[in-house]
Parts: sequence; C-alpha cells; structure tokens
Amino acid sequence: MSGEPNKEESDDNAEPLDLVRLCIDEVVIVKLRGDRELKGRLYAYDSHCNLVLGDAEETIYITDAEEEGDKVRTVKKQCEMLFVRGDSVVLIAPLESIR
Amino acid sequence: MSFFGFDAMLARDRGHSASAPGFGQTPDAFAGLGGGVAGDDDAIDFEDTYDGLGDGLDETDDAFNDDTFGGGPASQQSVGKDFDFAGQTSKIAHTLQEEQMLYQTQQPPSHQQRPPPPKPSKPARTGYESYHDPNYIPQLEARADIWGLKPKHPVPAKQPENQAPPPPQPAKKMMSLEEVEAMIRAQTLQHEEPAPVLIQPQQAQPPPLPVHPHQQVPHSQPHFPGIPGQGQFVPQILQRPQQPQQPQQPQHAQQHGPHQRSGSRHQQVHAELPGHSVQAPPVHHPTILQRQRPPPNEPSIQQHRHAPPQPTAQRPASQPRQILQNPSRLSGQGQPMAQPGPPASRGPAPGHSRGPSYPSMVVTNPEQLLHLSKEEREAFLAEDAKRAKRNHKIALLSKDNGLMTPQDKNFITRIQLQQLMTATGNLNEQTPEAAIAEDFYYQVFSQIRGALRQTPHQPASQFAQTYLFQTNGRYGPGRRHGRGADNHMQRMEQQVQRAVEAAKAKPKAKQLTIEGSLGKISFSNSKTPRPLLSMKRPESTDKQPSKPHKVSVADRTETLRNIENVYMTLMHMEDHERTLPAPINQDSDPEAIQRHMEWRTKIETLHKKLWDDIKIMEPINPNPLTPHPFIAILSHAKGKKAIPRIFRHIDEQERITILTMVVIHLDKLNVVSHGIATPEEPLSPALRDEIELFLHSVVPPLYAHIFESPLNIIIGLLGLILERNNVHVVARTKIGMSLLIMLISRAELLKQPPEINVVDWENWTELYNRLFDAVEPILPLIFPGSINDTDDMYVWQFLAAMGVGASPEQQQRLVIGVKDRVMETVGVSKALPPEMAGARLANVNLFMRAIGLDVELLG
Amino acid sequence: MLIFSFFKTLMNQEVTVELKNEVSIRGTIKSVDQFLNIKLDNASVVDELKWPHMSSTRDMFIRGSVVRYVHIPSATVDIGLLEDATRREADKAKAGTA
Repeated sequence: MSGEPNKEESDDNAEPLDLVRLCIDEVVIVKLRGDRELKGRLYAYDSHCNLVLGDAEETIYITDAEEEGDKVRTVKKQCEMLFVRGDSVVLIAPLESIR
Repeated sequence: MSFFGFDAMLARDRGHSASAPGFGQTPDAFAGLGGGVAGDDDAIDFEDTYDGLGDGLDETDDAFNDDTFGGGPASQQSVGKDFDFAGQTSKIAHTLQEEQMLYQTQQPPSHQQRPPPPKPSKPARTGYESYHDPNYIPQLEARADIWGLKPKHPVPAKQPENQAPPPPQPAKKMMSLEEVEAMIRAQTLQHEEPAPVLIQPQQAQPPPLPVHPHQQVPHSQPHFPGIPGQGQFVPQILQRPQQPQQPQQPQHAQQHGPHQRSGSRHQQVHAELPGHSVQAPPVHHPTILQRQRPPPNEPSIQQHRHAPPQPTAQRPASQPRQILQNPSRLSGQGQPMAQPGPPASRGPAPGHSRGPSYPSMVVTNPEQLLHLSKEEREAFLAEDAKRAKRNHKIALLSKDNGLMTPQDKNFITRIQLQQLMTATGNLNEQTPEAAIAEDFYYQVFSQIRGALRQTPHQPASQFAQTYLFQTNGRYGPGRRHGRGADNHMQRMEQQVQRAVEAAKAKPKAKQLTIEGSLGKISFSNSKTPRPLLSMKRPESTDKQPSKPHKVSVADRTETLRNIENVYMTLMHMEDHERTLPAPINQDSDPEAIQRHMEWRTKIETLHKKLWDDIKIMEPINPNPLTPHPFIAILSHAKGKKAIPRIFRHIDEQERITILTMVVIHLDKLNVVSHGIATPEEPLSPALRDEIELFLHSVVPPLYAHIFESPLNIIIGLLGLILERNNVHVVARTKIGMSLLIMLISRAELLKQPPEINVVDWENWTELYNRLFDAVEPILPLIFPGSINDTDDMYVWQFLAAMGVGASPEQQQRLVIGVKDRVMETVGVSKALPPEMAGARLANVNLFMRAIGLDVELLG
Repeated sequence: MLIFSFFKTLMNQEVTVELKNEVSIRGTIKSVDQFLNIKLDNASVVDELKWPHMSSTRDMFIRGSVVRYVHIPSATVDIGLLEDATRREADKAKAGTA
C-alpha cells in the first residue's frame, strides 16, 4: 500500500464532499438560506449536507426595511449541539485554524 | 351576450336558477351547509381549522428539496437505492405472504357470506392512470407479491358491450379493507336510494336503451345548475350504459397489484371519460384510492355495515365510483378528486377541490317528476333530499380520503417496511456486518450506553470496546478536564510525590534550613523584597521564537487529508481486528492456518500504511518554513485525538519514535509555541481547550512510555529538549513543563535502585545542570497567571521535581527565583476559605518539601 | 442513513426543533424516520406569546422538510463515535459512486 502513494491522494476522484470531510472536527463556517450563518465544529455531515455542529454560533442578518440606509443588524445565538437540515445549507467553508 | 340575445352562458356558469323547471320546490338539502360545514355532523372543514401556519413556511426555494429528500417522483430512483427496499424486502417476501395467509384465514365470516366477487369484465379505472409509466416506482411493481397478490395480467382494453357478468371468482380471494368497504357501500347505497327504484328496475341489466335512467341524466342538469361542468359530460354519460356493469371488487384488487401494468389500458379509458366524476355518487370515489382505510371513514362504514347485502344492487353504483377517481388522477398531485358540491355550500377551496361531488344522475329527470303524482313527487323529493344529505355527510366524512396519492402510500409502505427491517434486526440474510455498516452510530452508541444490552451483537461489542477504550479522547475540546487529563495529572503528581519522598530520605536535604534559604528575608516585608535579590530578568521576548509562518491553505489541506487518511486506516485496522480468526495451533487444518496467515498479512499491511499515514518518518528539516507533517497533524484537534488510537496499533520502537518526534519539535507544537501565558495576556479559551486536549490525549500515551523508560532514554529525551528547543518557551508552557516534570521525576526515581550506572548518572547530572541554568532566569516568569490563578499546580510540581534533583546550591537559587510567589501564595491563602487555602498551600508545600522545607515553617 | 442513525439515539431526549418559519418547538422525540420526520411528545412552542394558537398542541408530527435546526443536548452525543460514523458514511458513499 505504501508503494502507491498517489492512490488515495490523487485528485482524480475528488468529490466536493471530500473537502467537507477534511473539515470533520474542525471549525467551519456554514452559510444558510435566510441570511443566516453558523460557526461551529463539524461533527457529522451526509450527502444531503445535513450537519451536526458543536458549540455553534448562529448569526442572523436582519435588514430593517423601514430604514433607508439598509441597516443590517445581526442577532447571535449559541447552541452547544445543533443539527442543521441540509436543504438550508448554502455553503460550508473551513475556518482558518484558531490563532 | 350572444349574438342572438340568448343567454349563452353555460348552465354551470350560472348561479342556482330559481326558475329551474321542475326543481323550484325541491327542498334544498344543503341549505344548512353553508361554509362547507355540515350542519348536523361534527365534520370539521380543513379550511376552517387550518391555521395558515404552513403558508409561512418558506419553501419558495425548495426546488430541489424533493430531489434531495425523496419527496417527489424525480427522486424515486435515488431514494429506492438508498435503502434497498426491493432487495431486502424480497428476502422477507415469504414472511409477508405467510402473514397474508394468516389474515385470510381470520377473515370475519361475514366476508365469506358475501357473494363471490366476479372477475373484472372491463378494464377498471383504478386511479393509477397517472402512474402508468413503466419506470414509475419500479420497486413496487417488482414487489407486488409482497401483498400476496399475483401480478395481474392486463385485461384487454376494449370489452364487448353488455358483456354478461363473468363467472364469480373463487371466494378465497383475499379482500382488502377497501374492497370490503366499497362493497358494503355499494350495497347500502343502493339500499338507501329508493328514489331510483321508482324509475329504474333494480334487476334490470343496463342495456343501452335510450330510456335508461342514466341516459336521462343530462336532462336533469337544470336541477343542479350550480354544478360546474355538468353540461360537458353529456357524451360521456351517454356512453355509460354501454359499459358493462361490473362489481368493483376485482378492480380494487388491481390496486394492490402492479399499477403500472394496468396503467396504460386505464389511460385509454380515462381519455374516453373525462370528468365523469361530477356525476358519480361521492360515496365511493375516495375509497378507491385507499389501501388503508383512514379512521374518518369508519363511521360511514359502520353505518352501512348493517345494511343487508344486495348483491345485484351493488352494480350500478360501482361504475360511477370508478369514474369518479379520474380527475384526481389527472392532476396527479394527490388532490382529492371530486368536484365540490354547490359552490356556495363548500366555500372557496383555491387550488383544491376537496369537497365531495353531489350526485345528480341518480336523481330522476324533471319529465319523470312531472309524470308522478303529487304524493309520489313529494315522497320522492323528500327521499331525494334525505339521500342527498346523507351522501353529503358521507362525503364530508370521507373528504380526506384522496389526500394521499398511491405514490404517497407506497412511500409510507416503504418506510414501514424499512422500519420493520430495522426493528427486527438482521432478518434473514442480512448480516450483522451490513446492519452495522448501515447503522453504525446507533448500533455502537447503543452498545456503549447500554441500550441494546439485551441483544448483544458480537461485532458491535467489539466496536463498543474500541470506542469505550478511547473514552479519554472522546470529548471534544469543549469539555475540559476529561477523565484522562485527571488521571494523567494524578499520576504525574504521584510520581513527583514519590520523587520527593525518595529525595527526603537522602541526607543532603538536611543541609537546607530556613536560615539558609529564606531566613535572611524579612517575612513581614515580603512585598518589598530586598534589592540584593534582584534577578536578571531576561527580556521576555528576546528568546521567544518568531511566530511561525501562517500555515498556507494548501499545507493545511494536506494536513487535514493526512489526518483523515490516518482515521480511515485506523478504522480499517479496527475492522480487521474484529475478523481475527480463531487461534491456530499445530493441529489446525491448513485452511485455518491459511486464513490466519492472510489475516496477519493484511494487518501488517495496514500497520505499515498507518505508519506511513502519520508521516512520522518524513525527513526532519532543521530550519523548516512549514512544520513537520507529523507535528502539523498534532496541531489539529482530531490529530491529537488520533494519538491514543495510533498507540494501540504500533510497537514499542514506533512509540519511542513518536515520543522522540514530539520532544524534538516540542517548541514547534502550537500548544507550546502559542502556549505562553502571562498575567497580562492570558491564553484564549480556544487555545486553552487545545492544550487541555493535548494533555489528555497525547500526553498520557507519551507519559505511559516515559514511565517505563530506562535512564538512558530519559537522558536522551532531555538532551533533545535542550538541544533542539528553546527551553525558555518549553518551560513556560503547561505542555512543555509537563514533559519536563515527567522526565525529571522519572530520573529521580531511577536514582533509587541500588545499581546505578555511573556514566548514565553523570550524563544526567550534566543535563540537569544545563536545564537548571536555562530555567533559572525565567523562574519568576513560569507562573502563567496572577497570584489568584489557581491553575498553577503543575508549576509547583515542576519546581518540586527540579528541587528534588537540585544540589543545595541549586536549591538556594531555586528558592530565590520563586520566593516571591511562595510568599504571595502563602499570604493569599490566609484570606481564603480553609479548603481552598489548604489546596493552594499543599501545592506550595510540594515544592517546599522537595527542598526539605515546609510552609509551616513560614508561619 | 447516518443522520437517521444519529437521530435514533436521540429517542426520548428533549430537543428544540426550529422550523423554517421561525417557530421553535420543544419536546421529546418519540420517533423519527429516515426522512427525519419527527414525532414530538409533550411539545410546546418556545415563544408562546408569538404563536399562541400553537400552544394547545401537545403531541405533534413534524415533516422533516420544514425543519431548519434541531437543538440537541450535547451530553447525548458521542462526538468521537459520531465523527467516525461520518467517516464511514463518507467512505461508503464514495465506494458506492466510484
């Protein structure tokens, strides 16, 4: 096995979800529909982008319609363990390692 | 307005005409049904009770929701693949058949008393026309035998008119609830409809005679001008008598068979008879869609059950029923099919026509009415009203019957079967392996938490052991102080204690007295130490390593990929371990030996792969821009968590290699290079978590190894720390200090045995002196927090370990270095509750006793 | 099947289901299927003032597709095991498509 170093590392059969796999147990940013964003540690995902996040922080961006200046305010919520249904997920991105 | 001034509106477009001939005096059976709520029953209208909440659900962008989650037809294929319905179900097909047989034998006798159901004489309209596509839900077609029904052979689409009733089918034919229900309904309907009897001979076969009441239906249109679309149906209605009367049962049976096969011919019929629904009695239409009778139907069924069976009577009713379902099948959306009754009585139902259709054709035509006597007419009208009301009621009760499409039901059936499979575990050929692969988390989780103890799966138990074994590393960085960390700290403390005890036994400590070390210091003046004790404090920054280059995205991705490969190999190894064949001996047959050999070969290969995966043997670049791949692995939480699992699978030599690698790169570890805290700059919570995780996942296996290492290895490791690392960084971090504590205290314990290798010992002393000299300048800085920070036990342990091995002169210097902290801590303790004070003083005393003193002596 | 498997371990746990229409419902998971339809017992709407008409509902069935989040007590999750299960699932999916 060691004799074929490019066997598992070749990008030939790389799939988009392979990147998500690398983020297991890493802190990720998840953008969701409805102007929402999550930051949390990725514990599980599946092919539907259903996710389980730990220590998740949700940020909701709310644009106040009344004000002309397009004021966006944010609401933040915390959750120790969160299942996210995949049909809300827009993108999953790794957060750079914590400084 | 038409050209000729006639009212060109279709009858259905007009409101209820008060001047409708012959019907003006008809009691309005639905007068009390405004708003769609039946006045005299409790049926609740959906539109009235629906809270509108669902409208708020933002499903606007859910275009692919069904694709993804299996809701829509487009995803049927993929959904089917996922859980292998056909494959697994086929294996239990015979079980289901047995169930069917059992059920048949338990059929209530009343069913047997029923006249044997005749065979279908004409293609039935089963309501599955929309699903005639042969590719549609193929699993169901393939698995029709689940339901104990033989796949039906397609019946010719065209049948001779007026075909005589076919020979009855054998009574053994299994009837579903719906069939029974439909039959009862058909009977009772006939029974309850005396009105047609007046004009229609009950026994008459329906010949295509023009005088047949059904053909007169079009003329009755004015009676219900509000019913939309009625006028359009004249041609179809005229066709109706041409269709042979047929009992509904076999048609129902077809629903349980392969719908796809009969679909195409149904489609033809369907095309001929659009919109018949309006004229059909509503009672029957919903049932045809049902495989399982929903509870709302119950009352109506009960109601009808008492009606004496009238075998012949069921025939006329059956036909419209079949026709009725067509509209819904046209929509293909599972909407209820029937037209609402008079619109005013149903209220608006946008997008849905959920209401029942009102019977019109059974009512006789106006001409007939005119011929009747007054009493007869009144009697008839009263009957008619009664019947209509009853029908309406029944329709209300069954209004939701069409809510689910056959597709929906297939869907539910699959779920139920799937859950049956899951619940019963590895039924038939399903191996435990497959079950665990499908349901890994649940199976192992249940083992660990004891939920499934009553049905122990052997393999799962082994899995459970694997994960129980790594309990230490199980909790993420969010949970601090796992058991592992505590154990580790305890063991470290014990070792230091033992070293201290051992040192106390030696005479040299006696040299130290209060006078000698602390005596010259004015205790009352501890906050203003004498200037002569001023130390050369090194600039705290001068020797810190320059911050490592920010790890590039590519490197980071590479590291993550390495870690995932490690995990994959680990899991393969753990899987493979579970397949360990029975132990062999000399008497074993060659096959067993062969299996064993293969197993060995495989585990060796995996072992080698694991070793490659952790990248430990990558060359060490002395001045790297990027950290060593193995060290990079340790910079990730999951890399740290993998270490205990890796240690299980590698041999002694490899463990030493890992330990050496960690020691060489100690100050490159992010938990060390970023781990220096000062009272002004405490560590970030995230970094503290990383450090804790390192302490309870990486350190224990390393420690376990050091704990058993001989002196020469300890010497080698300490030498590497001194040569390859910035000791100031190492000694100011929790991780670095922990490693130093392990090494020094282990060396102290190794001093005790009678035979001491003099050369080793000299080497050690030399290294110790170097370490001491390196650490001494930073002694005032080794406490990471302020005096109130209680997480300083490890520092005292370090000082104690250093003190044990120190010469008297070194002990003096040690005391001088940390004197302030000792005094402050003692001072602070006085203000603390006894318990906390005791803990803090015990920490200090650990050090004090190591150098032969005691806090008690400090007053 | 991974998430279904995961949810099965949450049986009888108290969770908060947040729907896509902002309603949050707290209740005990009584059953779940592989489409992640959820049956909740002792359900109550978190913000009853905002959704008063929901307050009378005690047991409910929630269609999986309307769920946005499910808040889960972290003590009921075995993280290491879940991560490994995720890796196995990913491996299986990849093997299936390759």
